[in-house]
Amino acid sequence: MVARMLKYRWQYVMILPAVVLLFLFNYIPMAGIQIAFKDFAIGSTIWGSHWTGLENFAFVHEEQFWKVVKNTLYISVLKFIFGFPLPILLALMINEIKNSAFKRFVQSVSYLPHFFSWIVVAYILQSFLTLDGGLANDLITKMGGDPIFFLGSTEWFRPMIVSSGLWKEVGWNTILYLAAISTIDPQLYEAAKVEGAGKLAQIRHITLPGILPTISIVLILSIPSLITVGMDQIYPMMNSANQEVADVLDTYVLRNGLQQGYFGVATAVGLISSVISLILVLTTNSVSRKINGEGLW
Amino acid sequence: MKVTVLERTGQWIIVLLLALLCVSVIYPFLYMLAISLNTGADAAKGGVYLWPRSFTWINYEIVLGNPVIRHAYLITIGRTVLGTFGGLAVTIMAAYGLSYKHLPFRNGILTYILITMLFNGGLIPFYIQLFKLGLTNTFWVYVIPGLFSVWNMFVMQKFIQGIPEVMIECAELDGAGPFRILLQIIVPLSKPMLAALGLFTAVGHWNDWFSGAFYVNDQNLIPVQTFLQQLLTAQDLSSVLSSNQNQEALARSSMSNITLMSVKMATVMISALPILLVYPFLQKYFVKGVMIGSVKG
Repeated sequence: MVARMLKYRWQYVMILPAVVLLFLFNYIPMAGIQIAFKDFAIGSTIWGSHWTGLENFAFVHEEQFWKVVKNTLYISVLKFIFGFPLPILLALMINEIKNSAFKRFVQSVSYLPHFFSWIVVAYILQSFLTLDGGLANDLITKMGGDPIFFLGSTEWFRPMIVSSGLWKEVGWNTILYLAAISTIDPQLYEAAKVEGAGKLAQIRHITLPGILPTISIVLILSIPSLITVGMDQIYPMMNSANQEVADVLDTYVLRNGLQQGYFGVATAVGLISSVISLILVLTTNSVSRKINGEGLW
Repeated sequence: MKVTVLERTGQWIIVLLLALLCVSVIYPFLYMLAISLNTGADAAKGGVYLWPRSFTWINYEIVLGNPVIRHAYLITIGRTVLGTFGGLAVTIMAAYGLSYKHLPFRNGILTYILITMLFNGGLIPFYIQLFKLGLTNTFWVYVIPGLFSVWNMFVMQKFIQGIPEVMIECAELDGAGPFRILLQIIVPLSKPMLAALGLFTAVGHWNDWFSGAFYVNDQNLIPVQTFLQQLLTAQDLSSVLSSNQNQEALARSSMSNITLMSVKMATVMISALPILLVYPFLQKYFVKGVMIGSVKG
């Protein structure tokens, strides 16, 4: 064994940086979860802090916490309801275009927003929706309506987040479906045409079944992320006026922990969401093994 | 081939919808460009939708004259270059080292790596670890923690497995060590995949605002996106104008010509420009990259 390990010594050297990095930035933080059960403050040591039992978990009795949970689920479910079927629909539409130059153009343009940061997206929203000189309110007032303060309203926050999320990612999410469509045997379509099947019938009986495996993979992969709505998108759009509906688990952890220094409480909330997402991943994997005969691992 | 009226109308509807989608992506950038090239006070009156009405470079002069922004640019470029090349190096070394099937403890190491995909300590313990390692408030917090990507490693491994083993065995017979094989055989053969993964990593670095906002206090260390994030909620121009070296430009223009909005739009255009410029050249790589990554979810 030792001789065999010596033979592979250079391979170990290659793997070493990765192993060390994971140890430093993944495994030690895992051990740091004990902060959730301690009265830790920055400056003291984790191991030296006192155990406090479940004291840090007192937030489960607070209304505010459950509001945050509700906000998280609300936004992630909404994003899923729209974000899951629309790329499929878009891919089907792109596939129907006969002019290949226009087809390539549509694809290039629809992928583009994926490469911009959520901050840039937030600026786009601000420039369109702001009260002073924004395009949307210009149009509303021209048509005789009252200007709406989109950026600081509780009713408009969710539509804003869901639609800007769609705008940014819908094109990008079509790539896999378009690839799957391109592998479908063209003879199937020829045969269907001979039998007199119209476009819609072809989509229903050939294209959709053809991309079904891809659809199910995307579905499986999207379920574990239901609990993490993404600080990246929400945080830049959140302000004191819309916090009621904008505050999600990620921003709650951020505010309590990094901004206010309640490390124990924030770690406890983070722990709960890590455990939920672990359960989601494991469940999804075993369900997919049962149905598809193959899981993620 | 007979085309029914219904199908032709369908085709037109699809073309129309997709053209609308393209407009929705392109227009915001034209709009922001027009605002940024217009004098601020004039733009605030509204009505600048596509073309600057009262053209000026002043907003760009203000932004580029700001040492904080210029410095932020250097930070962003530095972390993108170091983070991308360093990340690819660490990740491909691990992927190649682990591609040796007879490596002792190979499965153990793979499990060690896989676990980090399922569970993590969450934000707070991660932050505390960064703090303890002395990484907070340094440039290296942008580069080191993200050097190894588990996801990219698995994608690379899949690709390396596709390289004929005969080539590697031949090189070994000729006396080449693993590092030489990696540099002279694996890396050249993996170029398209390295390009795709490198592009994704680079975009991730370019667009990251989070670490600059929370792991760093020193304004001299923030990247462009964090600067943008701070500017997004700014109430007045002082954050851009203070310590502005471009006093000459400021003096030439009366202050009323510059508004927060026009300066914001110029800043966001400057931050987005590099991506807009390289995008056409990189397109062919990223589609390929998504394909490689998706073969197994």
